[in-house]
Amino acid sequence: MIIETHALTKNYGNKTACEQINLSVEAGQVYGFLGRNGAGKSTCIKMLTGLVFPTSGSGTVLGKPLGDVSAREKMGYLPELFRYQDWMTGLDLLNFHAQLIKLKSKKDQISRVLKLVGLVGQENYKVGSYSKGMQQRIGLACALLSNPQLVFLDEPTSALDPIGRKDVRDIIVALKNEGATVFLNSHLLSEVEAVCDSVTFIHKGSVIKSARMDELLMTKISLTIRAKGITEDLFSTLSKEHESLQKLADGSLTVSLKDYEEIPSLAASLISRGATLYELTPHRETLETVFMQIVGEEGPSS
Amino acid sequence: MLNYFPNTSMTHGMGNQFRPFAIQMVTKMGFQFSSMLIALLTIMLGSGAISSELESGLIQGVLARPIHRYQYIFGKLGGLVILVCTYATLLFSSILVIGALFGLSTITSLTFSQIMTGWLLYLLLPVAVLCLTLFGSVSLKAVSNGILMIFIYILGSVGGMVEMIGQYVNNNSIIGTGIFISLVSPFQTIYSTMERVMVPNSELAASAMSAASLSGSGKPASLWMFVYIAIYMLGFVALAIRKFSSKDIT
Repeated sequence: MIIETHALTKNYGNKTACEQINLSVEAGQVYGFLGRNGAGKSTCIKMLTGLVFPTSGSGTVLGKPLGDVSAREKMGYLPELFRYQDWMTGLDLLNFHAQLIKLKSKKDQISRVLKLVGLVGQENYKVGSYSKGMQQRIGLACALLSNPQLVFLDEPTSALDPIGRKDVRDIIVALKNEGATVFLNSHLLSEVEAVCDSVTFIHKGSVIKSARMDELLMTKISLTIRAKGITEDLFSTLSKEHESLQKLADGSLTVSLKDYEEIPSLAASLISRGATLYELTPHRETLETVFMQIVGEEGPSS
Repeated sequence: MLNYFPNTSMTHGMGNQFRPFAIQMVTKMGFQFSSMLIALLTIMLGSGAISSELESGLIQGVLARPIHRYQYIFGKLGGLVILVCTYATLLFSSILVIGALFGLSTITSLTFSQIMTGWLLYLLLPVAVLCLTLFGSVSLKAVSNGILMIFIYILGSVGGMVEMIGQYVNNNSIIGTGIFISLVSPFQTIYSTMERVMVPNSELAASAMSAASLSGSGKPASLWMFVYIAIYMLGFVALAIRKFSSKDIT
């Protein structure tokens, strides 16, 4: 495991930011860390990067105990509230970070990351003159400068336009293909769904669910039914068999099924009861609906 | 001062003593105001050195790198020491150059050893202020730290004055209070030692300056006081490192 934590807890006075966090992140995957605002995601990331000291619990990152300085040599971090020395040029900033990590072949690496984040030609301008999106890009460049084995991205696309978001998604996929592990905290669930292999949901400082993305999204299937001859009696009979059955405004029905294998039997049941079937469309559940179900059920954030 | 007051009623009767007195006053004023300026500049630079980066979040990107917290403190301290020492050296040499150009006997009669000792003491003052300010910067917000440091700096001048009053009225408890204040804020002690090196045999001018600025010092500082100042500086740097090493960067 590239990240492993055991009962990691952080209290600020009498307020608990993270409570008994147990994480196991395998190397080489993109790991999504999801939760509402104030759920404790950033605090957890800061504990993993050594910026915040846990009140109790333990953990390892890249095989080293939390806070170990040497582990940070192979770690990249893009903070949520990215702020960089605005009096420096983009190039100065990258040179500064290259010095902090004692990077060899500085020039090549800087050229590589500038190209990767799409800031070639902008590197000689001051960071203070950059747009918010460009500042996020230069932050990402800093995070990727050391060719890290593990990258923590805390809201990496919050300031980016759709093209920028796609670029970041591509970068994340490229990092994964190169064998790096990406720990991604994002509120853009479509983005997480597109790139993550596993996700963990955190709510009020506690982990409420961890699962592989495919397992999470394949657990339920949403089915849209267009049929003629659905009487009230037939609808109530079907409702008894499928509690999630709902009639939509356009007359079609939706129902949540646990398995694709339930679809043929449902179709047979409709036809045998006199309905004329025009369309049966299964939809895979989106991360957004899963998120709403998992986190929404837990009530409002603290 | 030298040109306008030689024959006024104020100086009547001082005869030939006035000119050396005025020269000493001018020299002391130059050193005093410049050292005050450099101390305030140091407080301005140091008060937000760490706290402003903590407040803005700028520090997060740096501390996520493979560097120890103490390295960060030493980096900040080293950079600021170089900066304030450069400023202080410029100011110190300006005073010497201007004094020499005007032919002030206090400056032209200085020996190399006096200049070097005075310069080192002149540099010691902002460095000592910086050590305390840096600890404040780890613990407090930039503005609060700046206000507190200015208060402590001014307190040092008051401490010297209290000690001097104690000596004048021969009261040990007042002297003790003055010494205690000087231990809390030893900056005036550093300054007055530097002044004694650069402008020796100037008790009359020193008394006049003390009356004018409500600052001063009693007896010359002993070697032990400088040992204490070294411990004071190292102690505050150590405290800053200790505090910062356990600080959550939120």
